[in-house]
Amino acid sequence: MSASAVFILDMKGKVLISRNYKGDVDTTEIDHFLPLLMQQEEEGLTCPLLSRGKVHFLWIKHSNLYLVALTMKNSNASLVYSFLYKLVEVFTEYFKELEEESIQDNFVVVYELLDELMDFGFPQTTDSQILQEYITQEGNKLEVTKLRVPNTVTNAVSWRSEGIKYKKNEVFIDVIESVNLLVNANGNVLSSDIVGSVKLKVMLSGMPELRLGLNDRVLFGLTGRDKGKSVVMEDVKFHQCVRLSRFENDRTISFIPPDGDSELMSYRINAHVKPLIWIESVIEKFSHSRVEIMVKAKGQFKKQSVANSVQISVPVPSDVDSPRFKTSVGSAKYVPEKNVVIWTIKSFPGGKEFLMRAHFGLPSVDKDELEGRPPITVKFEIPYFTVSGIQVRYMKIIEKSGYQALPWVRYITQSGDYQLRTNS
Amino acid sequence: MPYLGSEETVKELKRALSNPNVQSDRLRYRNVILRVIRFMTQGLDMAPLFMEMVKASATVDIVQKKLVYLFMCSYATLKPDLALLAINTLLKDCADPNPMVRGLALRNMCNLRMPGVSEYIQQPILSGLRDKASYVRRAAVLGCAKMQNLQPDVEIDGAVVNELYGLLRDQDPVVMVNCLRALEEILKKEGGVVINKPIAHHLLNRMKDLDVWGQSEVLTFLLRYRPRCQSELFDILNLLDNFLGSSHSGVVAATTRLFLSLGSALPAVQSGVLERARGPLLAACNAQSRELRFVALCHVQQVLRSLPGHFGAHYKKFFCSYSEPNYIKFRKMEILVELVNDENVGTVLEELRGYCTDVSPELAQAAIFAIGRVGQTYSEKCLSILTGLLELKQEQITSAVVQTFRDLVWLCPQCSESVCASIAGCEEHIQDSEGKQALVWLLGVHGEQIPGSPYVLEEFIDALKTEQSPAVKLELLTATVRLFLSRPAETQDMLGRLLTFCIEEECDMSVRDRALFCYRLLQCGVEEAHRVLGGPKSDPSLGVIAGRPEEPINSWAGDFNTLAPVYSREDWAALTATTGGSPSLIPLVTGGAAQADLGSAEEAEAAGSAAAAAAPAAPSPPGPSEELCLVSGPPLSPELFERRWLALEPSRRVSLDWPGGDCLPETLQAALQLVNIQALALSRPHARPWKAYLYAHSLGTVVLAELLRDTDAGGLQVTLKQDPEREEALSSFLTVLKTVMQTLGNSSASLSSHD
Repeated sequence: MSASAVFILDMKGKVLISRNYKGDVDTTEIDHFLPLLMQQEEEGLTCPLLSRGKVHFLWIKHSNLYLVALTMKNSNASLVYSFLYKLVEVFTEYFKELEEESIQDNFVVVYELLDELMDFGFPQTTDSQILQEYITQEGNKLEVTKLRVPNTVTNAVSWRSEGIKYKKNEVFIDVIESVNLLVNANGNVLSSDIVGSVKLKVMLSGMPELRLGLNDRVLFGLTGRDKGKSVVMEDVKFHQCVRLSRFENDRTISFIPPDGDSELMSYRINAHVKPLIWIESVIEKFSHSRVEIMVKAKGQFKKQSVANSVQISVPVPSDVDSPRFKTSVGSAKYVPEKNVVIWTIKSFPGGKEFLMRAHFGLPSVDKDELEGRPPITVKFEIPYFTVSGIQVRYMKIIEKSGYQALPWVRYITQSGDYQLRTNS
Repeated sequence: MPYLGSEETVKELKRALSNPNVQSDRLRYRNVILRVIRFMTQGLDMAPLFMEMVKASATVDIVQKKLVYLFMCSYATLKPDLALLAINTLLKDCADPNPMVRGLALRNMCNLRMPGVSEYIQQPILSGLRDKASYVRRAAVLGCAKMQNLQPDVEIDGAVVNELYGLLRDQDPVVMVNCLRALEEILKKEGGVVINKPIAHHLLNRMKDLDVWGQSEVLTFLLRYRPRCQSELFDILNLLDNFLGSSHSGVVAATTRLFLSLGSALPAVQSGVLERARGPLLAACNAQSRELRFVALCHVQQVLRSLPGHFGAHYKKFFCSYSEPNYIKFRKMEILVELVNDENVGTVLEELRGYCTDVSPELAQAAIFAIGRVGQTYSEKCLSILTGLLELKQEQITSAVVQTFRDLVWLCPQCSESVCASIAGCEEHIQDSEGKQALVWLLGVHGEQIPGSPYVLEEFIDALKTEQSPAVKLELLTATVRLFLSRPAETQDMLGRLLTFCIEEECDMSVRDRALFCYRLLQCGVEEAHRVLGGPKSDPSLGVIAGRPEEPINSWAGDFNTLAPVYSREDWAALTATTGGSPSLIPLVTGGAAQADLGSAEEAEAAGSAAAAAAPAAPSPPGPSEELCLVSGPPLSPELFERRWLALEPSRRVSLDWPGGDCLPETLQAALQLVNIQALALSRPHARPWKAYLYAHSLGTVVLAELLRDTDAGGLQVTLKQDPEREEALSSFLTVLKTVMQTLGNSSASLSSHD
């Protein structure tokens, strides 16, 4: 890939900050970006890829910013987008929120980062943990610190620096599975899948060597040896640090972990699982008078488990008024700016069924514009439970200084893109 | 107030920068510099402060140094003479004990884009290449490419190139990848960096050390390498196999592309790779980022061109989610239509039906057209859905449905009965000209089956004065004459009114001419009018053509994972053609050639309007230019080409002028494709002798051509062969080829026949 220049624009198309890496495009080309985009919007079809003459504009939008990469070559589109998202990721780690104000407040750091992230249009050091070792916001506070090139910039292990020290050596392992679900208005499941990931928070000194053991069922699932009982995992992906050859040979996951937070592996399960929280809804609209909503939610998971902070958002027309609710558990609230009713249930045990009724008034005059039919969405979190049954058997930590370290494991199943379409 | 008194601001800053009191207080000094950079970022011209800023670079504060470097790089082109003064400071920093400072100074010095700087940066770059800190080496390696870029005409320094090839063995992975990038840039005129066996094997062994950017890049460079034997090829496939499971979709795509290219002669390998890549590609279709999702969908479409059933089992993955932007929804619908089969047709249609009532009119319309495309195979199910949509009585929907009906009736004659039964009353809900045209066409062609057709047409005729669109009027003329032929009693009166209005009051010439044409046609007698207008009412064979044949994987494998699949094919062809010269010339020229072949332009027009009148609604009415010029026919495989080439005798030998300069194969190919000449094989740009093999279909024959260029000085030898013989096709091929070459070279080509 190669990007000739990178621009960060505000919503009006004004350049907030830019870097012309290669010098083969004129920086004024960017002035055509917003007009081109507007033109597409008028035609009803925006596209993340624009072109003018020989210049291609690849852009993404983040909060109130456009991040635009210009290229003259037939480069690899997905890599350019990945790089733009990498920029967002790095900036967010530096400024918490990436938006117009944070760019303006931190323009020095932004310049410094843009300089290190890419040179001559090629990505260089993009790991934010490593960048944070030598580009700091404190640097602006003028202490003459001895700035040196961090070892990682030269290390063979590019994702971990040497000489990390912790008083207490610990590893936190989170096994998180998100459930994506799409149900059509007739109550048929159109698609459901589970995206799992094993996340690490590593607080270990030195260069530790870790080995992670998962339950065999899952590993068999991976190799496809025992398709009968286990769910078939697709797309098992590992962090760069995992020695894939070891995994191929004897199924051990061994690695030198990056410091701090990282995602060790991810996987996807395509099997049809019973939807964990099932929603039945009746939305009746009586023109010019009222809307009546009845929503029934059922927990279709083990009785011992409990779903926490369940949020069921039910769409309502934008012109409703005088809401009234009745719920068998939890509380319901009308959020006019999003045109939804949010029904919140703090704890929802498996096997239980709850009911919510809502009543709204409608104005006697019809409004002009058509409205879409947004789906009902559900958010939830079920701790100590995974849909796939994946389990961490052991985590071995070996470091040459021989310290003892503790691994902590946590399992969570949560909602991903969980949508149920409605009839009204 | 930076925008109002910018001159004042500059003056004030200048004072502050040169104030010794400020200079001695580091915090204050840096704050002033910060202000300068802030104004620069806001777009104010800070160039007058160049001198003062250069002085500020002599500091131990590294952040201040960075800011000053940034300033210098931004304004160096404007103030080259002053920038030379900064060189000394930079040179000094290049020898700083701190590698961070050395790296920074070197990188920024190479970023000074101004003439004359190269003589100063050469030495620091060379010593930077041998620096012990990899941070400096990284900057130095890319510096070599920047230096070459600054003076593109200067001969390439062989020593530097050798040094860079040597640094491919550097232990730092980024230095290694940067070397590849730099060599590619420096040697671009010679075809880029050479990947021979030792280099390829070295790169393969280093793959696991690289970050995702490096991996993607190396995988792309490895496309250059052709393994010597099959066992080596399979070793490479085995070594890289893991990368198909990388957690980064870009690496997966790059690996897929490399495997497809390595397996270009081994179909089993290719289909195996696509099988393996299916999971990751589907996962990318559900990626968090919309843009990556979009790119993945484009690639799915590309794969579907060769393997229509490849994602059949996963069709539900392409159902649209409520919050997705339209550009994703459009792609998903296109894919859904391709994936329809006997088992899933019900579910897919139900899903598409849901989109038909979307709030976005564009999306709703696209969904209706999608149902129409499915209807070419499953007409019954689709017709009932479409008829149901008419009951909603909404403008946009009704218009789209009627347009779909028109196309369906043309392709599937069995639909006409139910279509005719359901279009009654539609005219009240159609406002746009496309919808009207479709309805009028249906009324004209199938008028005898629609009870109220004359009355509907009459309403249109009565509203003629307020009708804006000439296209609707043209359609109305043809339709009314047609209906007159089948239902004369009811239509005669209004036809008279229509013709009178169009001939006497209409201002649009095409409408007037069409009306006169109709009038004269009717004068010739009903028999004659029947013969001209009463063509076939449907053409089921077109549907088969519309369902395009499977393309070989190799036809797109080269474009995989580039920008090409992200644009639509037409857009991409147009974009790539732009690089060759003036693109608008080429299509015009083909039209001209066609007219010349016809003999008289008048005849062409007559034939054209007759054809248009007979089949106005065909998805692609066969225009005169296509029929008589080169057309894109069925693709020839290289084997078939070779066999034919050897079997045939040359029909003509001709020499053309070389377009001159470096004509890239992609450019040439794209330009030729635009005029329907297919390029089978092309030599690399600087190869001698340079050869290209082309072919084209025309007037029922195939023209095969070989272009040969022996020496730089000589022209282009063209050998043409043909099967079967047809002189006109040969000359039209030559004319087109000549124009392409001319356009590419922007120089006049002279044609001299040897025979």
